Amino acid sequence: MAGVRQANPGTSVPTKNYVLNLGPVHLILTVGAMGILVIFLLTILLAAAVLFAAVASRRRRQAEAANRELTNEVRERKRAEEEVNKLNAELERRVVERTRQLDAANKELEAFSYSVSHDLRAPLRAIDGFSKAILDEYAETLDKQACHYLQRVRTGIQKMSGLIDDLLNLSSMSRAMLRKESINLTALARDVVAELQDREPLRKVVIGIADGLSAVGDAQLITIVLVNLFGNAWKYTAKRPEAQIAFGSENQGNEVVFYIRDNGAGFDMAYAAKLFAPFQRLHQDSEFEGNGIGLATIQRIVLRHGGRVWVKAAVNEGATFFFTLGDVQ
Amino acid sequence: MMIQEQTILLVEDSDDDAELAMRAFHRAKSTNRVVRARDGVDALDYLFGRGPYAGRDVLDLPAVTLLDLNLPKVSGLEVLKAIRAEERTKHLPIVILTSSNEDKDRLSAYDHFANSYVLKPVDYDQFAAAALQLGLYWLVLNAPPPRKEK
Repeated sequence: MAGVRQANPGTSVPTKNYVLNLGPVHLILTVGAMGILVIFLLTILLAAAVLFAAVASRRRRQAEAANRELTNEVRERKRAEEEVNKLNAELERRVVERTRQLDAANKELEAFSYSVSHDLRAPLRAIDGFSKAILDEYAETLDKQACHYLQRVRTGIQKMSGLIDDLLNLSSMSRAMLRKESINLTALARDVVAELQDREPLRKVVIGIADGLSAVGDAQLITIVLVNLFGNAWKYTAKRPEAQIAFGSENQGNEVVFYIRDNGAGFDMAYAAKLFAPFQRLHQDSEFEGNGIGLATIQRIVLRHGGRVWVKAAVNEGATFFFTLGDVQ
Repeated sequence: MMIQEQTILLVEDSDDDAELAMRAFHRAKSTNRVVRARDGVDALDYLFGRGPYAGRDVLDLPAVTLLDLNLPKVSGLEVLKAIRAEERTKHLPIVILTSSNEDKDRLSAYDHFANSYVLKPVDYDQFAAAALQLGLYWLVLNAPPPRKEK
């Protein structure tokens, strides 16, 4: 039995083995635990890596998208820049072309006025001269009526000659260089009125000129504006027993608007648009004399200063002319 | 007073203007000889004794030349330049008589030493008055440059 037991010593062996076997189990357990830990760690690591990779890939995709966007934007900008350059070049080309056209038009205008001044005056001088020669040398053989007709011819010539002068003035006004300076409009207006009064001392006109009116412009041209506007007001109030003319200014927005108001004959506003065209008249010569060039001249001058001119009027209730000179306060 | 009859050279292409000017001189009782040139070439031929005027005494120069600007062939301004460029005629009194009141014309006339610039008025009375005054001033009042000898 012992033998058996002996033969079976293994019964204690297991104990020993148990002790001995404890190592590997432990080892296994330890290794297993470590393995699990490692696996766990690896899993975490893998998960982190996967996560990281996912994030990185997302970032990359985002970066790529941003890059693409940027590239697109750059391309777009380049295209826009090219477009702008092209437009600029086109604009420049057109400016050059327009300037050339304008120069040509100006030259043509110059040639035209030159031709007018020479060629239109010459035959007039001949008509006037030879009708005068007839009057001088044949007055005895002509009756009174014939002399009267010849006189009428000469009057017509004077008028036409005046028109030619006015036309030339108008065209030279459009071409003359502007010499801008500060102008005391109050003083200028008083001078203009004094001259009108000198010419017709018997006329009684109540004149109101506001103090402290000033503007920046070409003094010579602005004088022409005032001479014409006051001259008109003076002329069209001639039939008023209590003629009144007022010159002042008012602020409209950031603009200074000057006005000359009269209580004269006025006119129907339906014809107002015609008023500023050369040689357009709303009154017959027998009513009020004139050649219809004054307001056209004023408009040219005012436009050249970057301003505007307009009018409000009513038949028999006078007229008010407004103008600006393009300077902003 | 000057005994010698003086000449006025009138350079004018328009027959009308020329006749009116002659009439004005005539009525002003001017006894001076008026020579008329019809264009710039004609004027220079006369002054330089060329072409139809070959053999003319070129030292016999007009007391004054009334020069239109707008002339066929050779313009008034070119005539003026040619006169000023020639030693013998460079002091010749030249009055520009024109209908042009253009700044450009006035400036170039004075640039080339015109002695005077007078506008031809359309009104005959004024034209005659201008002709009379021109004659009085240039033929009577003005002392011309000394006559050159051969």
